[in-house]
Amino acid sequence: MRIFQSIRSFKNAVWGASLLSILVAGIGLLVIVFGEKYHLRLVYAAYVNLLVVLGLQVFMGNTNITNLSHSAFMGLGAYVAAICVTPVTIKKLSLPDAPWGLNTFELDAFSSAIISLTITGFLAFLTGLIIVRLSGIGATIVTIAILVIVHSVFMHRTDIFKGKQAFFGIPQVFDLYSIIIISIGVIFVARFFRESKWGIQLRASSDDDTSASAMGVNIFNLRLFAWTLGGLILAMAGICYAYFLGTISARPFYFSHVFLTLAMLILGGMRSITGAVLGTIMITFGLEWVRFMETGPVLIGIKFPEMLGLSGITLGAVIVLIMVLRNGGLVGNFEIEQMFLKGRNVPKV
Amino acid sequence: MDYIVQQTLNALSFGAEYALIALGLAIVFSIMNLVNFAHGEVIAIGGYTMMVMATLAFKNPIIIILGAVLAAIIMALFLERIAFRPVRYADATTGLLTAFGVSLILQNLFLLLVSPRPIAVTSMYFLDWPIRLGPIQISSLQIFETLATLIAILLLVLFLKKSLLGIAMRAASLDFEMVRLMGIRANRVIAAAFAISGLLAGIAAIFIIARRGAVDPTLGFNPVLKAFVACVVGGFGSLPGAVLGGFLLGALEVGMLVLLPQSYGGMKDAFVFAIIAIILVWRPEGILSPPKEKGDKI
Repeated sequence: MRIFQSIRSFKNAVWGASLLSILVAGIGLLVIVFGEKYHLRLVYAAYVNLLVVLGLQVFMGNTNITNLSHSAFMGLGAYVAAICVTPVTIKKLSLPDAPWGLNTFELDAFSSAIISLTITGFLAFLTGLIIVRLSGIGATIVTIAILVIVHSVFMHRTDIFKGKQAFFGIPQVFDLYSIIIISIGVIFVARFFRESKWGIQLRASSDDDTSASAMGVNIFNLRLFAWTLGGLILAMAGICYAYFLGTISARPFYFSHVFLTLAMLILGGMRSITGAVLGTIMITFGLEWVRFMETGPVLIGIKFPEMLGLSGITLGAVIVLIMVLRNGGLVGNFEIEQMFLKGRNVPKV
Repeated sequence: MDYIVQQTLNALSFGAEYALIALGLAIVFSIMNLVNFAHGEVIAIGGYTMMVMATLAFKNPIIIILGAVLAAIIMALFLERIAFRPVRYADATTGLLTAFGVSLILQNLFLLLVSPRPIAVTSMYFLDWPIRLGPIQISSLQIFETLATLIAILLLVLFLKKSLLGIAMRAASLDFEMVRLMGIRANRVIAAAFAISGLLAGIAAIFIIARRGAVDPTLGFNPVLKAFVACVVGGFGSLPGAVLGGFLLGALEVGMLVLLPQSYGGMKDAFVFAIIAIILVWRPEGILSPPKEKGDKI
C-alpha cells in the first residue's frame, strides 16, 4: 500500500519538515546559548504550545472542523503521565484517598509516557467515534462538551486530580533539548500526514464532502484517524508539559489555553504546517510584549496604565482580523519549501 | 408527588432560560449560518447596562429593564455591522471563529474597562419572592421566566408567520438568494434576525441578573455554552429544535441534580453533556434537524 501519492509529495514533505525543523531548533538553540534562566521556561512553554498547535492542525487543518477540546486532551496526557511517574512517597502525601491503588505504584518516565499515550489515544478514539458522525458545527459543539466534561472531572475528582490545587512532585524528566527533538519529530509526523494520500483525501473531503465520498474517500475512517493522531500529539504535549514543570493543575487546560493555541493556528494558517509553526512563533513573541504592556510599564518617559485583559483583547483581535481579512491565515496553503523549490517539484495551486 | 411537581417546575424554568438563549442563537444561524458565540457578551452588555443605570440612580425597574433590552439589541446590531457583515458569505468555520474572537475581545474589554470581579446589581431582586402553592414552594422568578419565554416564543411565531419581514426571514433560511431576488434587502433580513436575537438576549439577561444579583465579564458565557448544546441536540438552525433542546437540557440538568449523590453535584455538567453526546450518537443532526437536500442549493 502506498502512503504517498507520488515521490514528489514525499520529497516536498521531507524538505518542508526539515526546513521548519531547522527554524524551530535554531530558535531553541539560540535561547539555550544566549538566554537567561527564566527565558528557558518561557521558551519551553512555547514549545509545548507548538506541539499543541501541531496536534490541533492535524485534525482541524485537514478537516476544516473547529476543534476546541484540544486542551482537554493535553490535560489528560499530562495528568496520566504525572500520576504514573510521581514517586509513591509524594503520592501518599498529595493523593491520600486515591482510588484503584493509584498512589501505590510508580513507573519510570518512559513507561508512564507510553501509558499516557495509550489511555489518551484510546479516549480520543472513543470520542472520535462520536465526532466523525457529526457535521461541522455539531462536531464543534461536541468538542466543547468534551472540554467541559474533562474539565469538570479534573476539578471535582480531587482525590485523583487535586482539582484547583497543584499536583506536585513530578520529577523533571525533560529539558529544552528533549522538547526540541520531540517538536522536530512531531513536525515530521504532521507534515507527512498532510502530504500522505489520507491527508490529501481529507482535505478534498473538507472542500466538498459529496464529491469526495463519490470518488471513494472513506471520510469517517479518515477523520477518525486524524482525530486520534491529533489526540496522541496533544497527549505528547501534555506529557512534555508535566515532565518539565513538575507541578500541574486543572486550570491551564481550559478555555484561555484553547483560545491561545487556536489563535496561533489560525494566524499562521491552519491548512499548512508552516502556518502552524509561524503562528506559534509570532503569537508567542507578540504576547510577551503585550504582557509587558499589560503591567503598566514606563516607556520613553510615559507611564502607561495597568491594562489587565490586553492580551485577551489582542488574541481576539488577531482572530477576528485574520478571519475578516484573510481567512486562510497568513500563509494559506503555502508550505515553506515552495520558497526554495520555485518552479520545480511544486504542484500548481 | 409534590416533589415531582416541584422538580418539574424547576426543570421548566431552567429550560425556559436555555430555550430563550438558544432561540437567539438559532434564529441567526438559520439565516446566515453563523454560530454566534458572542451572544453571551450581548447578554453581559444587558447586565452591565443594568449596573450602570442603577448607579445613575434610575429607580424605576421598568426603565432599567427597557434600557437593558435596548442595549442588548443595539449591541447585537452593532456586532453584526462591524464584525459579522464582512464574513457574511464565508463558510461556517470562518463565522464561528470570528464570533469566538469577538467574544474574547468583549469579555476582556469588560475586564479592562469595568472590573474582573463580580459587581452587585440588586435592581432586579423585586422579581423574586417565594410563592407557596399548597405543599409546593416555588419562586416567582421561575414563573416569570417560564411565562416570559412562552410569550416570547408566541410573539416570535406570530412575527415569523404573519409579517412580511418574518416570512422573508423564514424564506431566507431556505434560500437567501431567492429572497433577495424577490426584492427584499439582505441587510434588513439579517439585521432583523440580530435584533430579535438581541431582544431575546436582553430578556435572558434580566432573569440571569435577577437570579445571580451580580454581573461579571463571563456572565453570558456559560449559559450560552449550554444553549449551544441545546441547539445542537434539538437540531441546529431549527427554531422548534432550539426550544425543545432548551427544555430537554433543563429537564436533564434538574434530573441530574435530583439523581446524583451530593458528592457528585459538581459533576452535573459532565453527566448532562455526556448524555447529550449519547443522544447525538443516536441522532447526529439533532432531534428536529431541518431536512437537508444535498446539492439542491448552491
